Amino acid sequence: MSILWRLLWAAISLAAAGCMGFVATERGEPINSIWVVIAAVCTYLVGFRFYATFIAAKVMTLDDLRATPAERLRNGHDFEPTNKFILFGHHFAAIAGPGPLVGPTLAAQFGYLPGVMWIVIGGVLGGAVQDFIILFCSMRRDGKSLGAMAREEIGKVGGFTALFTVLLIMIILLAVVALVVVNALKDSPWGTFTIGATMPIALFMGLYLRYLRPGKVLECSAIGFVLVLASISGGQWISHSAQWAPIFTLTGIALAVIVILYGFLASALPVWMLLAPRDYLSTFVKLGVVIMLAVGILFVRPQLQLPAFTRFVDGTGPIFAGKIFPFCFITIACGAISGFHALISSGTTPKMIGRESHALPVGYGSMLLESFVAIMALIAACSLQPGVYFAVNSPAGIVGVTPDAATATISSWGYPVSAADMGTLAGDVGEKTLFYRTGGAPSLALGMAHIFAKSIGGQAILGFWYHFAIMFEALFILTIIDAGTRVGRFMLQDFLGHFYAPLGRTSWMPGVILTSAAVVASWGYFLIQGVRDPLGGINSLWPLFGIANQLLAAIALCVATTILIKMHGAKYMWITCAPLAWLVVVCFTAGWEKLFSDATRIGFLAQADQLQQALDAGKIAAAKVAETQTVIFNARLDAVITGLFLVMVATVLIDSIRVWIGILRGTRDTRINETPFVPTELRPEEI
Amino acid sequence: MRRFWCFVRELMKELSDQNAYARHLALHGVPHSGEEWRRFSEERMSAKYSRAKCC
Repeated sequence: MSILWRLLWAAISLAAAGCMGFVATERGEPINSIWVVIAAVCTYLVGFRFYATFIAAKVMTLDDLRATPAERLRNGHDFEPTNKFILFGHHFAAIAGPGPLVGPTLAAQFGYLPGVMWIVIGGVLGGAVQDFIILFCSMRRDGKSLGAMAREEIGKVGGFTALFTVLLIMIILLAVVALVVVNALKDSPWGTFTIGATMPIALFMGLYLRYLRPGKVLECSAIGFVLVLASISGGQWISHSAQWAPIFTLTGIALAVIVILYGFLASALPVWMLLAPRDYLSTFVKLGVVIMLAVGILFVRPQLQLPAFTRFVDGTGPIFAGKIFPFCFITIACGAISGFHALISSGTTPKMIGRESHALPVGYGSMLLESFVAIMALIAACSLQPGVYFAVNSPAGIVGVTPDAATATISSWGYPVSAADMGTLAGDVGEKTLFYRTGGAPSLALGMAHIFAKSIGGQAILGFWYHFAIMFEALFILTIIDAGTRVGRFMLQDFLGHFYAPLGRTSWMPGVILTSAAVVASWGYFLIQGVRDPLGGINSLWPLFGIANQLLAAIALCVATTILIKMHGAKYMWITCAPLAWLVVVCFTAGWEKLFSDATRIGFLAQADQLQQALDAGKIAAAKVAETQTVIFNARLDAVITGLFLVMVATVLIDSIRVWIGILRGTRDTRINETPFVPTELRPEEI
Repeated sequence: MRRFWCFVRELMKELSDQNAYARHLALHGVPHSGEEWRRFSEERMSAKYSRAKCC
């Protein structure tokens, strides 16, 4: 490295340390978000340049002379050597979901600092390392899935547990993201019309692509995007219409039923009709809005209005209950470390890598960009006035059922807000009210709308930008719901096919309908549970999802550690063991608290016991008895699922440790299951 | 700047499966037609949507 480069990297490192130090120590006055942006970006650059290249060179020994599966098994479909920049975009589009947007928004209840530190440090040392190493392992094994690698490297128990965990996590994931959409659209005719309009638009796109202009996906997506923008404007008109507004003003339960029916239809209908066109559209909108948000933040440079730490680090937060440790670290999953990424890193991407060295920017770099998306979401949420942030995100069961009661409660916490201010803000964004909109999406949309409005159009079009942001979030959440339901259906059909062969056939309509209904009913049950929950649903479902996602990351890191030990003995196992140990401590602490905490807002069993005692003592009104019994059952069900997650991951962990000890003692097979070396014949111009 | 737009165009074509379709046509030596697109997209989508989408 030349002296100039050394000086440049020294300057970047100093900027990272200086800005992070400023962000971490500044108290009292609001700080400008640009400090957070510089701290994050410089840390990512240092992590990528030094830590990731160290792993690539010393641990993986990436070899560009070795033919990748994309070259050896090239078939023009799955296996195809692809330009590294294009694959970077492809992989990023695949890993970026609502998680890095919603998680940091919810975790902002602790203040901006815990979220910033966890997203940046967790991303560089945990999430990006996991994605990179799993991508490398899969690439060296002909693109094998995480489950297949777990079975091969750890054993049958690990493999089966990984598969079962994925199915269970998907059910919780689908319920929680559906809840986010339902809470965002509740009593919002503008939002409901806009999102409702995306369904006929997607159907039109499907027919356009199949029969009118086959293969013209970009042209079709551009038309779809224009129609979606028109539907946002149409939604404004609907919200002012005395005739139409009531039709699109729906309760949470009504919206939940519609989303459940939608999930069923999207799973059972042919893919080309609804799922694929919506997916194309949502991918482009997602990438476009992420770029817009980055430019907007750099242009506006908003002040962070929330403090570094709020009073809710003690566990009494209104959005979700639980102390900063461990709940901050499970609430923010996808922006720091996400087990689901391991499924993508062992899915399509390893089959498209043309040179081994491309795994570095694609695997490690994409996760850093995802981490930066989480930072931007945190900035958007923290740029709101704290009183507004808590008024939007707190459930009525905590702050009071009237606007005056809610604002009085929130103001008493030291975050002043008035019902009149909230009414003005709601009017500015074209909503009747912004109170009790739990789930994170509306507060994030508010933050984004303010940033966009300051960049283009001003306050006059704040309502358009708010609903544009809601459309952006809902569009790809619905894509996850329909694709996830379909994948769940395939998994169930695969399993049931062992008992009755026709059920395993994806073309047998009764089987398709039965299994689609079963999957939809599973996540729909949790969705209805969340909608009816007086504490807003997010309080119980998001931590459950966070624990599940982080536990999947623990399984991925177990697989990665096993492979590193087989390659190098104990020398480099700290690279994956450090994040693994952290995740195990965080997830098991959170899981234990969700099971056994005496605080009724945290512990599922304590909540069930308290309600049961009230029921037994006759303290529950007759009209509420059935509802209370359902809440008790749901709390116990959530406890069972949390326990199941912990047992499954403990099984994989113990199984892995047994394998590691065996390898290190020399009593187990240390053979690496990589495909043999074949020299590359790929010409540079081919990638 | 030209290279940047070229990259953006290629990325969009990759994300929209238009590049994959072009490869499919080249691999099988067949011209573009509605029938061929439907055959390609059914095969591609059945593989694409049998995998979980990320959160």
